[in-house]
Amino acid sequence: MRDDAKNVADKTVPHREDEALKFYFTPTDPPGDTSDNPHAKASTQVADVIDALREEFGEPAIGEMRVYAGEHEVVVDRFRTIEVCRYLKEEQGFDYLSALGGVDRFVEGDRFEVVYNLLSLDDAKRIRLRVRVDEDDLTVPSISSVFRSATWHEREVYDMLGIRFDGHPDLRRMFMPEDFEYYPQRKEFPLLGVPGSLPLPPQTPEGDLTMDPFAAAHGSKPRESFDEPKSDFEQSL
Amino acid sequence: MDANQGFFTTRVDAVMNWARSNSLMPMPMGLACCAIEMMAFAGPKYDSARYGSEAMRFSPRQADLMLVAGWCSYKMAHAVRRVWDQMPDPKWCIAIGACASTGGMHRCYGVVQGIDNFLPVDVYVPGCPPRPEAISHALLDIQEKIRNDYTLANDYSIGEDAPPVPANRPKVLTGSGQQSISPEALYQQDDA
Ligand code: SF4
Repeated sequence: MRDDAKNVADKTVPHREDEALKFYFTPTDPPGDTSDNPHAKASTQVADVIDALREEFGEPAIGEMRVYAGEHEVVVDRFRTIEVCRYLKEEQGFDYLSALGGVDRFVEGDRFEVVYNLLSLDDAKRIRLRVRVDEDDLTVPSISSVFRSATWHEREVYDMLGIRFDGHPDLRRMFMPEDFEYYPQRKEFPLLGVPGSLPLPPQTPEGDLTMDPFAAAHGSKPRESFDEPKSDFEQSL
Repeated sequence: MDANQGFFTTRVDAVMNWARSNSLMPMPMGLACCAIEMMAFAGPKYDSARYGSEAMRFSPRQADLMLVAGWCSYKMAHAVRRVWDQMPDPKWCIAIGACASTGGMHRCYGVVQGIDNFLPVDVYVPGCPPRPEAISHALLDIQEKIRNDYTLANDYSIGEDAPPVPANRPKVLTGSGQQSISPEALYQQDDA
């Protein structure tokens, strides 16, 4: 019986060789020298600026210069950030903060990093500063006194990673609700969130908050508006 | 004879439902990229004015159809629900796009996995983003729902029981897509 079915199947379905799926892994950058980036622009090669920084501030404040993908960047001591930024802005012409972001490196020491991308509009030069900060003391001086535009960026970094910025005029969460207890861009934060930490609105105008984030999947169906219970006001009429 | 079943009343009903369905006032709740398609749907090319819904109402108190276009974050959900609560009855809701319907590709901590977690949705429009034609089709579905669903004689907004949900509209093809339904069946009336 089974053989018959197999024969029928063999006749009706055209035979096809199994084909190994082609699958390409994303190549990772080899560690070490990555200076052969064909897309690197000369505007990001600012060794002279970094030398000037080192002359001005000395060795512990200005770390080693790193070349990543053909672009120059430098690690800066976190307590000298404001001075370094002010020097770059006033003496070196880096007058535009194009981005400020946070990184969770997920390593033992100096786990977090704040990255500043500065741009000189006159000279068309870019420089990237990195500030390392440890989990035990998550504060970085705010550079909002140098670049006003840093305020919202710093609020975002605070919201997502929990890095506090000393001297920020209004350090509130940017995206998540004010009373949210977690920092979602940290590596240990679960992708789907912590159940119950972000309540959904009530299902009826005067009902309680919905604590289940997947209420519909668990069978709850919001009532049609005509089916909603009368509010206290309506009942008093 | 029961006054609710009089000839005159049912005719007024038909007119009311016809008027209601052809003058829907959408409340645009454009939250993300799908809102662009919603604007196209209301604009001159796809022209929702053909169905009497060109006048977007930016005040919930003047609207009776909510178009939720785009992904809705948990923070925004409270605002959306509050706007919905301010819209007068009767009201309808369309979830435009994969994100509003299910959360779509944003399967993460910040985005509500489908606005039907907190809103009663009448029509879901799939697509990322759906074409404006698809939104027009959703509007036609809402119109059909209004014509079938809500009557003055059976006004359940004042506490009467809701009528049974009408049967799905007849499809020309059966579910398996093979056998067509006879044209007589399409025009048969329920004797209820
Ligand atoms: S469904 Fe696609 S187009 Fe619409 S809001 Fe989501 S991501 Fe944007």
